[in-house]
Amino acid sequence: MTLLSIKNLTVSYGSPPYQLKALNAVNIDIAPGETVALVGESGSGKSTIAMAIMDLIPRKAVSGEIFFKGRELTSLPSEERRKLRGRNISIVFQDPFTSLNPSIRIGKQIAEGLTTHLGMSNAQAMKRAAEALKEVGIADPETVANAYPHQLSGGMRQRVLIASALVCNPELLILDEPTTALDVTIEAQVLDLVQEIAARRHVGVLFITHNLGVVNKIADRVCVLYAGQLVEEGTKERVLRDPLHPYTRGLLGSIPKLGHRESRLTPIEGRFPDLTDTPTGCIFEERCPFREAACSEPQQLRSLENRRIKCWKAEPAQVETWPVTERHTSTSDVRSSDEKALVELQKITKRFTSSTGKLTLKTKLGFLPLPAVEKKSVGVLNEISLSIGRGEVLGLVGESGSGKSTLGRIMLKLIDASDGRVVFDGKEISDASDGELKEFRKRAQIVFQNPTSSLNPRRTIGDAISRAFKLANPQADRKTVRKSAEELIDRVGLPIRYFDRYPHQLSGGEKQRVGIARALASNPDLIVCDEPVSALDVSVQATVLNLFKDLRSDMNLSYLFISHDLAVISHISDRIAVLYMGTIVEEGPAAAVLDAPHHPYTEALLSAAAVPDEAETDKKRIVVKGDNIRRVTHGCVFQGRCRRQIGSICETTKPPIRETDQGLRIACHLSVDDLLMGQKQLAENS
Amino acid sequence: MASSSRSTQTAVFRSLNSKLLIGSGLLLLIAFVAIFGSWLSPYAYDQMSVLQRMKPPSSAHWFGTDELGRDVFSRTLTGAGMSIAIGFGATMLSLLVGVPLGLLSGYKRGGFDEFVMRCMDVLLSMPPIMLGLLFLAVSEPSAWKAILAVGCVYIPPTVRLTRSIALELANEEFIEAARARSESTWYILIKEILPNAWPTIAVEGSLRVTFAILLGAALSFLGMGAQPPSSEWGLMISQARPYIAQAPWIALAPGLAMCLTVIAINLFGDGLRAAIDPRSASRGH
Repeated sequence: MTLLSIKNLTVSYGSPPYQLKALNAVNIDIAPGETVALVGESGSGKSTIAMAIMDLIPRKAVSGEIFFKGRELTSLPSEERRKLRGRNISIVFQDPFTSLNPSIRIGKQIAEGLTTHLGMSNAQAMKRAAEALKEVGIADPETVANAYPHQLSGGMRQRVLIASALVCNPELLILDEPTTALDVTIEAQVLDLVQEIAARRHVGVLFITHNLGVVNKIADRVCVLYAGQLVEEGTKERVLRDPLHPYTRGLLGSIPKLGHRESRLTPIEGRFPDLTDTPTGCIFEERCPFREAACSEPQQLRSLENRRIKCWKAEPAQVETWPVTERHTSTSDVRSSDEKALVELQKITKRFTSSTGKLTLKTKLGFLPLPAVEKKSVGVLNEISLSIGRGEVLGLVGESGSGKSTLGRIMLKLIDASDGRVVFDGKEISDASDGELKEFRKRAQIVFQNPTSSLNPRRTIGDAISRAFKLANPQADRKTVRKSAEELIDRVGLPIRYFDRYPHQLSGGEKQRVGIARALASNPDLIVCDEPVSALDVSVQATVLNLFKDLRSDMNLSYLFISHDLAVISHISDRIAVLYMGTIVEEGPAAAVLDAPHHPYTEALLSAAAVPDEAETDKKRIVVKGDNIRRVTHGCVFQGRCRRQIGSICETTKPPIRETDQGLRIACHLSVDDLLMGQKQLAENS
Repeated sequence: MASSSRSTQTAVFRSLNSKLLIGSGLLLLIAFVAIFGSWLSPYAYDQMSVLQRMKPPSSAHWFGTDELGRDVFSRTLTGAGMSIAIGFGATMLSLLVGVPLGLLSGYKRGGFDEFVMRCMDVLLSMPPIMLGLLFLAVSEPSAWKAILAVGCVYIPPTVRLTRSIALELANEEFIEAARARSESTWYILIKEILPNAWPTIAVEGSLRVTFAILLGAALSFLGMGAQPPSSEWGLMISQARPYIAQAPWIALAPGLAMCLTVIAINLFGDGLRAAIDPRSASRGH
C-alpha cells in the first residue's frame, strides 16, 4: 500500500486572467520506507508540494487529492490536518539558521511536539527529546537540549530539526532542501543520517532538492519537476543515468563534472516560462532544442518501461545530441601562462579584532591609566602565499568561514591585510597612493555572488555599465560611452534593448551577466569572481560558466575563481588551491589536485562533490566527522576531523609542505607516499 | 514581456491610492491659502474695530471676532503662511543637515559615527519643547528663529533614520562594486545610497512637517516664536486663552485649521509610503 498518494494536485494563486499556476496536475506516490526525490529549479513548485501536503497554503488555492494511508486529506477539516502535522507527517525546512526559535531552549522546542500530540508530561517529553537528539548523532544530548540555537553550528541545528521532526515517530518525513545551507562535509553527514534513519524506521521520505548530486546519493525514485509540472519520473538509476525528457537531459548536461575539464557545458537556453500564462502544449517547448510543431499539442504523462515521462518525442530525440550553442573554443591555447605572475600574495595574514565587552585599565601617554575595552583577535587568514599568472585561472575552494571571500577582497585591497604583501604586475599595492590605486582598480575587478545585491536597484543596466566605463575612460564623450556600454551588454550575451531596463526586470542569470559586463568595462586583466554562480540555478549556472570561459580565452583574463563547489572550480580552473580555516592545505595544477594523492580534507571534498550520473557504489563515501567551527591555534588546521591523523604531532606542530613531481603542494605531516598508499587502499576496499 | 507591463500597471494603481489623492488635494488647497491668504481674506489681519469686539460667528464674520475686534477668519487665512513656513522650513532644515550627516555616519562607521551618534543622543535626551526653548531663550524671539529652533530639534531623528538606512545599504554588493572601481565617498553617498534611501526619508519627512507645525505653534504659544500682532496659529490660540470661556470661537478657527493641515499631511505621508514603498505595508513598520 502506498503511504502517500498525490493525485492531480493543482495549486493556483489569484484569479483569471492573472492566475498563477504553481502546480499543474501533479501525481506522486510514496511507499513506506521509500525515499522519493523531488528535483527542480527555483519556481518549479517543489516546495509548494510540501506545503500542500502539510496544509500550509490557503485551501482555496489547492485542488486535487492527497491520500495519506488511504485517507483523503484535502476534504478533512483543518483541525484534523493539524493533528497529522508533526504527528504523522513532519517537515524539515531548508534554513537551519531561521527554523529554530532563537529564544527557546533546544530541548523544549523538540519536546513541544510530544506534549501537544502525544499528551506527554513535560519531564517525559524532555527525556524523549534527549533520546531523539542522541539518535541524530549528537554526542552530548543533555547539554544540547539545554542550549539555545545560536550556540550550535548549522550542521548541529539541522540535526536538531531532524530530531524534532522524528520525535513523534511520523510515517512520512518531508525534507525541503535540508542540506542547501550547509557545507559539503556537513551535507555528507546529514545525508548519511537521513538515509540511516529512513532505513531503520522504515519511514517514507520526500526529499526536495535542486542538487542532482544529492539525489544520486539518497533517492530511490526521482520526480523531475519543471514549471509546476511533472516531466519525468522513475527510479534513480533510470532517470539520472539514462534521462529521457529533454529537460532532464538539459539539467544533467548543465552540471560541471569533476574531471571533465575540457568539455563544454551544454546549458538550457531561454527563460523560465511565465506561470500566469502557461502554454497549452509542452511546458518546456520554448527552451527545448528538439521541439517540433507537434509539441504545441497538450502533453500527457505516459508510462514507459517503469518510468513516466511527459514528452511524446523522448525516444526519437534520444539519439539526437544536445546542440552546443555559442561557439566551441578550445581553452587550452591560452593555458600557456606567462612566467611572470600577474598578481602575487605574499604571506597574507588577516586578523579581525572584536571587543570582549570587558573593561580593563590601560596606561595611556606613559602614565595615565584609562579604561579601555579589552579586544580579542580572531585569525581569519594565516600566511597565505599564492600567485596567479597572466591568463591563468586560479580556483579557490573552501567552505563557509574558510576566509576565501576575505582573501579575494584583500587581493583587490577592498580590505587591508593585517600582514603580508600583495604585488600586482610587479608593483606592491599594499601601500599604493590614491592615484596608483585608481590605476590598479581599472585593471583588477570583481564579480559578486548575489546578482540582486550587486546591482543598484534604482539604476538602469546601461547607467551602471556606462558609469564603470566612464570612470575608466574619463575623456570619452557621451556617444563613445553609450556605444561601449552597448558593446559590453552584447559581449555578455544580453540584448542591447536591456540598456534602459532596471535590475528587477531581469532574471538572476541576466543580472549576473550585467555584473560581469560592469567588471569588464574598465578592460581589466584580473577579475576576482566571488562565488559568481552559486546563487544561480544549474541551467543558468552553466551559461554563466561558459561565458566566463569564453571571456577568458578572448581577452586573456586572469581569474581568482572562488567557490565552495569543487566541481565548478575544477571545470574552470588551471590551478586549484584548497582553503581550510584560513590555511591553504593543498595547491597545485587542477589535474594534480583532482588526482591522488590528496590532502585528507581535499579527499573528503572530492567524495562529497556532486556526481549525478555515476553509480554511488563506485566510490566509497568519506564522511568527515565534526564541525568546521572550531579554530585551532597550534598544529594542523584539520586536526580532530582528519581520518588520517597520526597523533599528537598533528596537534602541536604545523605540518610541512609536501611537494610532488606534478607541482602539487600538500600541507600534511604524512609523506606523499603515505597519503597515496592510504588513498589507494581505500579505492581497492570499495 | 507580459509580466513587466503588469507590474507597471500595479505600480500606477498603488500610487493612485485614495489617501494620497485626498491628502495632496487638501495640501494643495492649504498651500494656495498659505500663499494668497492676505488677498483671500475679507478683512486685513490687523484691522481692529472696538465696536465689534468678541462677536460670535455671523455672516459678516464667519468665525467671529477677537478681543480687539479683528476678524478671526481673516487672521486664520493670513496666518496659514507663517505656520506652514515654520513646519516646512524646519523640516527642510532638519533634512538638509541630518541627511548628509546620517549618510556619512552609516557609511563610514567607526569613530566618526560614534561621535555623531553620541552627540545626537545628547540632543535626543532632552524634551523637544525644552530644547526649542533653549535655542530661543538666549536671544530675542522671532519667527525665523522658531524655524531654526524647531529644525534643530528634528535633526537628531533624521540623522538616526538616515544612518540606519545607510548602514543597511552599505553592506550591499553594489556599494562594494563602486568602491572596487574607485568611486569617491561623496559619489557613493549621493548617487548610490541616497536614491535608495530617499523614499523612506521623504515619507518620514512629510510626516515630520506635522510635528514641526505643532512644535512651532507650541513655541509661539509660549511666546517664543512669532510675535504679536502676527496671526500665526499657535500665537492666536495663545492669545485667545484668557477669553476661552466667553469667546471660544477665537481659538476654534486656528485650531481647526491646524487640525486640517495635520490630517492632510498625515494622509499624504501615509499615501506616499504606500505608493513608493509597497514593502512597508507587509513589514508592519
